[in-house]
Amino acid sequence: MYVPTIGLEVHCELKTNTKNFSSAANAYSEIPNSNLATTDLGLPGILPVINEYGVKQSLKMALAMHCEIPEFMTFERKNYFYPDLPKGYQITQFDQPVGVNGYIMINVNGEDRKVLIHDTHLEEDTASLDHYGNYSLIDYNRAGVPLLETVTEPCMHSVEEAIAFLEALRNIFLYCDASEARTDRGQMRCDVNVSLAQEGMQELGTKVEIKNVNSFNNVKDAIISEVRRQTEILESGGVIAQETRRYDENNMCTYSMRSKEDAIDYKYFKEPNIPPIRIKRDWIEEIQKELPTFPYERITKYMEVYGLSRYDATILVKEKEMAEYFEKTLDEGADPKAASNWITSVILGHMNKYEIPITKLFLTPKMLVELIELVTSGKISSKQAKEVLHTSLEQEKSPLQLVEELGIKQIEGDAEITAIVNEVFAENPNAKAEYQAGRTNIVDFLVGQVMKKTKGQANPAMTRKIVQEEIQKG
Amino acid sequence: MSYMDKSIDDLRKALDERKVTSDALFEEATSLAKQYQSLYNSFVTILDEKNETESNSILSGIPYALKDNISTKDILTTSSSNILKNYVPVYNATVYQKLEDAGAVLMGKTVLDELAMGGTGTTGHTGIVKNPWDESRQIGGSSAGSAAAVALGIVPFAIGSDTGDSIRKPAAFGGVVGFKPTYGRVSRYGLFAFASSLDHVGCFARNVKDVAYVTDIIKGEDAHDMTSLPDDHKKYTDTLNNDIKGRKLFYIKEAMEDHENSNDAELKETIHQFFQMIEKIKELGFIVEEVSFPKELLNAIYPTYMAISCAEATSNNANLTGIHFGVRGEGNSIHDIMMDARTKGFSELIKRRFVLGSYILQKENQEKLFKNAQRIRHMIVDKMNTLFQEYDGMLMPASGGIAPHFGEKTDQLSDRYLILENHLVIANFGGFPSITLPSGFVNNMPIAINLTGRQFEDDIVLNMAYKMENITGCKDQIAKGGN
Amino acid sequence: MITKEKLKEYAEKLMFDMKEEEYDTLLVEFDVILKQMDLIGQIEGIEQVEPMTFPYEIEHAHFRKDEIKDTLNTSDVLKNASQVECNQVRVPKVVEEA
Repeated sequence: MYVPTIGLEVHCELKTNTKNFSSAANAYSEIPNSNLATTDLGLPGILPVINEYGVKQSLKMALAMHCEIPEFMTFERKNYFYPDLPKGYQITQFDQPVGVNGYIMINVNGEDRKVLIHDTHLEEDTASLDHYGNYSLIDYNRAGVPLLETVTEPCMHSVEEAIAFLEALRNIFLYCDASEARTDRGQMRCDVNVSLAQEGMQELGTKVEIKNVNSFNNVKDAIISEVRRQTEILESGGVIAQETRRYDENNMCTYSMRSKEDAIDYKYFKEPNIPPIRIKRDWIEEIQKELPTFPYERITKYMEVYGLSRYDATILVKEKEMAEYFEKTLDEGADPKAASNWITSVILGHMNKYEIPITKLFLTPKMLVELIELVTSGKISSKQAKEVLHTSLEQEKSPLQLVEELGIKQIEGDAEITAIVNEVFAENPNAKAEYQAGRTNIVDFLVGQVMKKTKGQANPAMTRKIVQEEIQKG
Repeated sequence: MSYMDKSIDDLRKALDERKVTSDALFEEATSLAKQYQSLYNSFVTILDEKNETESNSILSGIPYALKDNISTKDILTTSSSNILKNYVPVYNATVYQKLEDAGAVLMGKTVLDELAMGGTGTTGHTGIVKNPWDESRQIGGSSAGSAAAVALGIVPFAIGSDTGDSIRKPAAFGGVVGFKPTYGRVSRYGLFAFASSLDHVGCFARNVKDVAYVTDIIKGEDAHDMTSLPDDHKKYTDTLNNDIKGRKLFYIKEAMEDHENSNDAELKETIHQFFQMIEKIKELGFIVEEVSFPKELLNAIYPTYMAISCAEATSNNANLTGIHFGVRGEGNSIHDIMMDARTKGFSELIKRRFVLGSYILQKENQEKLFKNAQRIRHMIVDKMNTLFQEYDGMLMPASGGIAPHFGEKTDQLSDRYLILENHLVIANFGGFPSITLPSGFVNNMPIAINLTGRQFEDDIVLNMAYKMENITGCKDQIAKGGN
Repeated sequence: MITKEKLKEYAEKLMFDMKEEEYDTLLVEFDVILKQMDLIGQIEGIEQVEPMTFPYEIEHAHFRKDEIKDTLNTSDVLKNASQVECNQVRVPKVVEEA
């Protein structure tokens, strides 16, 4: 039996107005070569100047990942020739990155795990290449876009763990508003390191790096296929070569890119145009205060304090705005379970149907609380509430207003219901006889008739009770 | 009546009194440049048209030349390399923009050693630059054309860059003043990088006041350069007359000793004249003392410089692949076109320097080569800063002799330690302001002294040099070739 | 041990080739500089010194505000490129991996 050990290097584009080292726009553009300053093109004589906001967002991410922040931050050059790298080097961080020695908490199948972060560092993206018949075209727009690369320790041992980590990391980016983290737009890309070791062995096996995997599904498939490949080699007595591989999603397998011998020496050295930058402690404190409560902590609280299921809690924290919406309903006095039920069912359904974010929702947390109160006080039934909520969202009218306008109320008076029940018995003279003959489910039919007559306004529980009493009288 | 051999003050006066127009000055400068071009080859480009911005600055309407490694929008900028022989920048270097804003009139772009990596003025892609005092000799480099243009009286001032001694050495060989301010005083934005941590922008002129005028215009903090210094809010021309009484200078004993037993007559005469100059300088009120500097550090200057500058240069010039600018290589694959562009685009010297620099940066060599060089740099700068606690400046011969003949000196690495030929690099290591001042003649060729001061004290260095200039007898001199 | 073959390999990685005799010169230069660097390594106290990248400690380095400016026209971006197609720089097909 072999146990895989997995480490991830995740590149994520930061959301900023401008690039990392120039004042050109950091924005997607249909027009090639339109978002560029001299520095991004590596023209002779250019100098990098750091974007303060990019540094701030990186610090925020580093703090969110519980990293240590160095007193001075430095930038280094990574040197290599490639047509998508106009300067002939990438400015990145090597000696003193924005954060080191952190961790992210994740939950895999109900079990809490700590994923150790080796470091997170700020760097710049490359140009994009499009390939045609016998030529390629270079669009430099992406060159210089700020990237935050987060490197884990080799500390994960299953696909589930790796995916849970990626999801947790993406959530942290979203919660910090540091990135849109969309894999479909290439904003989040991954290098995956996989090694296999005999079960029970401390020492790690030979590491194979799979470069540039671009979706969570592909990460999953790449790990599975790489673990299978390495297992086959080891079981047939072979040796794993230390190499860099690439994942081929069409054939669902990895193939070799270069061996250890061909590894590039990037000749890292300090970027001589960027002096070491002192990260002031009061700046860190300021950023620390801006940090939101992250999903992992929120889920724990929702489960332990509010008694929600992990499933519901996970849905609620998927987006920060939804979690905040939920928490506001609690502030307004809602019962957590009721609020959670309404949000994760009707409200989420509506949002998905119309693709609107919760922040654009007509229904305010206060309105939801009012609706919940109508139910708990017995003024309307759950079923009615569901209808009201739907209509409220569709027509953009408050639930209280709707209940009033449509005259929706619950008939709760004993006498009132008994009168209608009697009417129904009168219309169905054989009902009692049939019941006594053993057709007990006729009760359901009779209750249904009462609800029909009252247009659903009769309290269902009460109606059932009265029907039961009446029918048993014989 | 000719004007281009005059000082900035004289030109300003003539323009203000309408004795001459800036059009006429431009015409004179460009005709002189063309006239001297076949013999001295100072220029890569001589402009046909003048572009002048309205300004009431001291430099308004006055022609000048820029080294061809400074980015000028819409004007060819080659860095004297074949790989950039067709490159027309799309942006202005800060130094050029400042001069434009001040109304100074660019008349041409000057030849340098290819990519500023050399000290002979012989490696530019358009041919060698000759010394205006004797065309069988080098002018030195890398700012060869700028030094020659000022020495010839084509322009009153020119801009250069200095990574090891590239302004101050050719200034010495050309008999003009060359000043490299404190690192960061002048923005490097738009200066084609050679070795970023050692690169400086500075200027040539024929007297110290003109150097101060130009420096006042080109200095200042720049949002495009993170290493640029905050403004010192000083006007250097205003402080030139400050008292220098009691200012203390030192020279390095070991640099003189090495040559005492030499039979190089020019060297002996150069040192002899240096000591005579010291006596005169003392008469001005300066105190000049001999200090000892660790010999092993002096001997380490050159290899340290080579290691750091070549390492940074190999990375800085990795953008030269002919893909989106520069001369495109031929070939059927991306690799082949990059190989072809760089193989054909660089001369031999450049390639040798890049291989060396790259080796120095290799993972397994970095500690022993690159970082040790950076450590020596630190030790030398520390030693200088310690001396500067007591002294206001270091006074030295700018070179151990006069401009060499062609073929005498090459840029091939040699194991001879020539402290007097290499000490100027100290000012690049520590970013110290440093000025070369012509001080006399040996065998009818100019020699010079060099004065290096404390970091950030550009004003004091200029003030001291201004006082010394009065006794050199070399103020405002024009080279023989320009008479 | 530095050999001519090694030097060729280094040059190849820097994307250029040199003539045979140029490698000979370079070999001599390597010999010179490596000997000098050996001497440097023996200078007393060197191991206790921090490597220096900047001429002095730069404490004034400023950040840039996150505001868009200095954007080049696409025509300027492509002005110096010798082969352009659809506003992009055209090169032979890139097949090698980064």
